[in-house]
Amino acid sequence: MATEKWVLMVTAQTPTNIAVIKYWGKRDETRILPVNDSISVTLDPDHLCTVTTVAVSPAFDRDRMWLNGKEISLSGSRYQNCLREIRSRAGDVEDKEKGIKIGKKDWEKLYLHIASHNNFPTAAGLASSAAGFACLVFSLAKLMNVEEDPSHLSAIARQGSGSACRSLFGGFVKWTMGSKEDGSDSVAVQLADEKHWDDLVIIIAVVSSRQKETSSTSGMRESVETSLLLQHRAKEVVPKRILQMEEAIKSRDFASFTQLTCTDSNQFHAVCLDTSPPIFYMNDTSHRIISLVEKWNRSEGTPQVAYTFDAGPNAVLIARNRKVAVQLLQGLLYYFPPKSDTDMKSYVVGDNSILKEAGLDGASGVENLQPPPEIKDNIGSQDQKGEVSYFICTRPGKGPIVLHDQTQALLNPETGLPK
Amino acid sequence: MATEKWVFMVTAQTPTNIAVIKYWGKRDEVRILPVNDSISVTLDPDHLCTVTTVAVSPAFDRDRMWLNGKEISLSGSRYQNCLREIRSRAGDVEDMEKGIKIRKKDWEKLNLHIASHNNFPTAAGLASSAAGFACLVFSLAKLMNVDEDPSHLSAIARQGSGSACRSLFGGFVKWTMGSKEDGSDSVAVQLADEKHWDDLVIIIAVVSSRQKETSSTSGMRESVETSLLLQHRAKEVVPKRILQMEEAIKNRDFASFTQLTCTDSNQFHAVCLDTSPPIFYMNDTSHRIISLVEKWNRSEGTPQVAYTFDAGPNAVLIARNRKVAVQLLQGLLYYFPPKSDTDMKSYVVGDNSILKEAGLDGASGVENLQPPPEIKDNIGSQDQKGEVSYFICTRPGKGPIVLHDQTQALLDPETGLPK
Repeated sequence: MATEKWVLMVTAQTPTNIAVIKYWGKRDETRILPVNDSISVTLDPDHLCTVTTVAVSPAFDRDRMWLNGKEISLSGSRYQNCLREIRSRAGDVEDKEKGIKIGKKDWEKLYLHIASHNNFPTAAGLASSAAGFACLVFSLAKLMNVEEDPSHLSAIARQGSGSACRSLFGGFVKWTMGSKEDGSDSVAVQLADEKHWDDLVIIIAVVSSRQKETSSTSGMRESVETSLLLQHRAKEVVPKRILQMEEAIKSRDFASFTQLTCTDSNQFHAVCLDTSPPIFYMNDTSHRIISLVEKWNRSEGTPQVAYTFDAGPNAVLIARNRKVAVQLLQGLLYYFPPKSDTDMKSYVVGDNSILKEAGLDGASGVENLQPPPEIKDNIGSQDQKGEVSYFICTRPGKGPIVLHDQTQALLNPETGLPK
Repeated sequence: MATEKWVFMVTAQTPTNIAVIKYWGKRDEVRILPVNDSISVTLDPDHLCTVTTVAVSPAFDRDRMWLNGKEISLSGSRYQNCLREIRSRAGDVEDMEKGIKIRKKDWEKLNLHIASHNNFPTAAGLASSAAGFACLVFSLAKLMNVDEDPSHLSAIARQGSGSACRSLFGGFVKWTMGSKEDGSDSVAVQLADEKHWDDLVIIIAVVSSRQKETSSTSGMRESVETSLLLQHRAKEVVPKRILQMEEAIKNRDFASFTQLTCTDSNQFHAVCLDTSPPIFYMNDTSHRIISLVEKWNRSEGTPQVAYTFDAGPNAVLIARNRKVAVQLLQGLLYYFPPKSDTDMKSYVVGDNSILKEAGLDGASGVENLQPPPEIKDNIGSQDQKGEVSYFICTRPGKGPIVLHDQTQALLDPETGLPK
């Protein structure tokens, strides 16, 4: 029989997420099992997402993957583990329209083409691995008709990248550390969906970084090996914070949410500093942003904005509501104005309708901004141009979805090669 | 009887010290009792010191003090505690030359004039309180013929400023936390004198700081109140490090000394970051210096330089010997060159004979410096002028001494007023 030429494809979109109770440290490097639970907020995929097209065809001669247009190797253990796990759960697939029928046992003889694209720069330190592996697993599960709920899928995504498991859901998500050696109980579960607390507005400051940063994988391994504070954090501090954070999310208690989010971010960075050699993810700009938020929160009496930083200098700021977000953006643009020739719409991206509410969509831009009245202390002069590359305005968002619109597919439906 | 006009004076000089196992956190704010032991290196008073002249006269109508030429108030509890404790131990004094005789019980009716001067800027964050209170207590003890050994005097100095107790000795000093409530066993003891390990060369980088820093006193109180990692550090980590450091000093084991010094500095700063609100004493320049030293140490296989930072961005770098110190200085001057019009002799102060050994005392200065071969990674470009205000080159040094040279007295011997 001549080689069949059919191509079956699925395209999916997956969000990224930001941890508010941090994952930092593995108890098992191969299965990617953490030393403590973590909790995250899923970000709106309208603003930050990974799109992945997966295709299968008898005409493909090997597994291949393209990431942001460049072909990459799938030989690493993380990709191999995800592919193996998903393939072992593949089911029967039938596309009556195209006359394609794939039996469960056929999958092991068929090869895959995968194309993935992030709509945000990898270098911006915005957790592209999390979105990427979640999307890979989700789209393959759809392609192969894998009959698993998102928590079971999350255990597979976890083996690609720990935090990827949390991107299998929208809203607020917990990654339970689990206790089994095989990691089958180390899964993500949804605490609340994206509508539960939709007042929240998230502003990300993408901070310019001159340094090549320590990767999360090697950084957390060094922390586990050398930090004398890490185990105490994992055993004594985080378990209590997880319970308190679940409660804060459930009750929409912003004051508690803020206190937990900020102190956990700082403690994660404290453990990085307690590592040998020490790891500095935050820089002076990150510190200035923290000072700004801390002073504002204290002057208002009750917290208005929570901050958290991952393994890089970018600030993720969570405002209690739109009004606060507008004030926050005005404060941030006062202290971190764009360089002279910058168009505001490229300096504040994502949901940039916020620019209008902040009175910043006109030509005068930031020149008319007053220093925020609450902040009397010298955070630093106003002319710190270039410290922040740009801002992204977003919100809590939904989980993975299939994209049915064929124009969004990244592979050609005839050849199965990148468009 | 007419008021006698005699003035009896003593002038003393006291060094400052830098902790290598850090003191951060009190268990008693009034008596200044710490939550853990600490160990320090005393710095050479030829380069950094406080000089204090204390005078007593029946003609003085009240206790007065001048610090760096400005009159200051002695009403604060720290000064009052030191004065009270020293006065209660005063003995009989006789100056036969001048015909002065003071009995033990006379002291309570006599007032003091005190003038103190630091030969380094207070704003440079170089622990002027430590040297200052140590000098106050030492000079008063000499004036009042207090019959106490330096450890007992250290318990008094401690009540002025915790780390002052360690400046009562030269060389390597331990401040034992003690267990008694009255603090009588919370004293400094000498581990080794300044000749014990005289290969060591110390280079201090005085880093420019735009921010007003959190004071040590309030900072450590906030840490005790809010850091969930501090107690673990104090109870589990520091006790072991103290024993290991004592051993390292005794054996002149530079590799262990470095590992302990660097990790303890980083852990102290980690606890500051784990405080609410977070305290950032180190800045990007501090981090660059750490990166430089870490990379160099690793490339050499065995540590060459230890680093430690107190409650500010200044780097205290301890080189294993003179040759290493010269290389270190060359590396530092390459990455942190002076501004164009700066005279090298004001950019490297203290023991600046090191400039000649580094080939930097000529007109060409830093332009001929090559990047250190070991450091291939991008620490940052060479043109980071102004990040470091200046360097101080010093060494471990001796403890307090009386200055018999009357020209060094800060008070006029006739009037008892500042010269």
